[in-house]
Amino acid sequence: MHLFPVVEVAGLHIDISAFIAIFVSAVITFVIARLAVRNLSVDNPSKLQNFMEWVVEFVQSTIASTMPLHRVKPYVGLGLTLIMFIFVSNLLGLPFGIVTEAHHAIDWLGITEAILEEHGGHVELAWWKSPTADISVTAGLALVVFILVHFLGLKLNRKHYIKHYFQPYWFFFPLNLIETIAKPVTLALRLYANIFAGEVLIATILMLGVVGIPFLIVWQGFSIFVGAIQAFLFTILTMVYISQAAIHDEHENEH
Amino acid sequence: MEFHWESTVFAIAAFLILYWLLNKYAFGPLFGIMEKRRQLVAEQMESAAKNREEAERLLEEQKQALQQVRQEAAEIIGQAKTTGAKQAEEILLQARNEANRLKEEALKDIETEKNKAVSALKAQVSGLSVLIASKIIEKQVDEKTQQELVDHYLKEVGTKS
Repeated sequence: MHLFPVVEVAGLHIDISAFIAIFVSAVITFVIARLAVRNLSVDNPSKLQNFMEWVVEFVQSTIASTMPLHRVKPYVGLGLTLIMFIFVSNLLGLPFGIVTEAHHAIDWLGITEAILEEHGGHVELAWWKSPTADISVTAGLALVVFILVHFLGLKLNRKHYIKHYFQPYWFFFPLNLIETIAKPVTLALRLYANIFAGEVLIATILMLGVVGIPFLIVWQGFSIFVGAIQAFLFTILTMVYISQAAIHDEHENEH
Repeated sequence: MEFHWESTVFAIAAFLILYWLLNKYAFGPLFGIMEKRRQLVAEQMESAAKNREEAERLLEEQKQALQQVRQEAAEIIGQAKTTGAKQAEEILLQARNEANRLKEEALKDIETEKNKAVSALKAQVSGLSVLIASKIIEKQVDEKTQQELVDHYLKEVGTKS
């Protein structure tokens, strides 16, 4: 498998490919959004504006399926950012890859003699990938969600939020704690695993050479589908978690 | 694959900045526009409903006005008919009266003329008889002379009257 170029700067290990990928994804997302809202018009929207409004309405209805309608508004921006950024991120690694080979130790890229030995004399460095194919990145997104969920729970719904750790009985606390921790972990791992698996398979198909082209086409198409599904899943799960923690449903009071 | 917490931190920072930028420069204006459109549609629907109500009201008014006008026209025609008939009757009556009056006047005139003539003749006759009597008394007349005399006077009567 490919290695990734890691630069050590002042004690920090900077994974260059991940940094590039995150940066590029964020820029693409922002540019798409900006293009969509260029020349905004009430009665004569451009095609891109129409598309963007469709996305907004889609996200709105998605969020509305997890919480009461009047609570939806503050989370639409978050949901949109999540779904767009993750979708762009998921697709980023699909169209091409940039791989360099290293036959000598390049210390500043983290290629030491020991690693070279381990890989039999030469290593391949991948410079381009989906940011979401990196567990470190999906962990960051999941962490944002985790902090946000519990912050909102404590801020908007403190009594029921704290109470839910001890339900149905106080000795369920460890179980509830595990559930709480499992949520962001699964969030990060699911996204990472799906996208990473997709890229691994692409790399594998590429080894087939010319014979692999039809497979590659099919798999790339499927990867777009998977990318969309995963972006949607991440968004709706985030909203479900927020809804569970921060929005107290009057009817479930008795549980 | 190793876990690099630096990537995690960078991802979080990038995501937060992206969220802030998108909200400020993309979603904010977009939501504003969508809200405006919602208001526009609501407004237009409201005004359409109002317009329809207004139209219905106007139509009702027009109908009533037309009804009123028709009624008035019928009244005017009826009035005109009755006044026409009355006037015709009046004119007829007047004409009849006038004719009667003229006839009576004419009759009266005839009567007076006749009376006048009669009285004038009477006066003449009496004068003549007096004259004849005096002539007879005055002189002896023979048959022939008398005849001549009578003739003479008769002629005189003829020319005088």
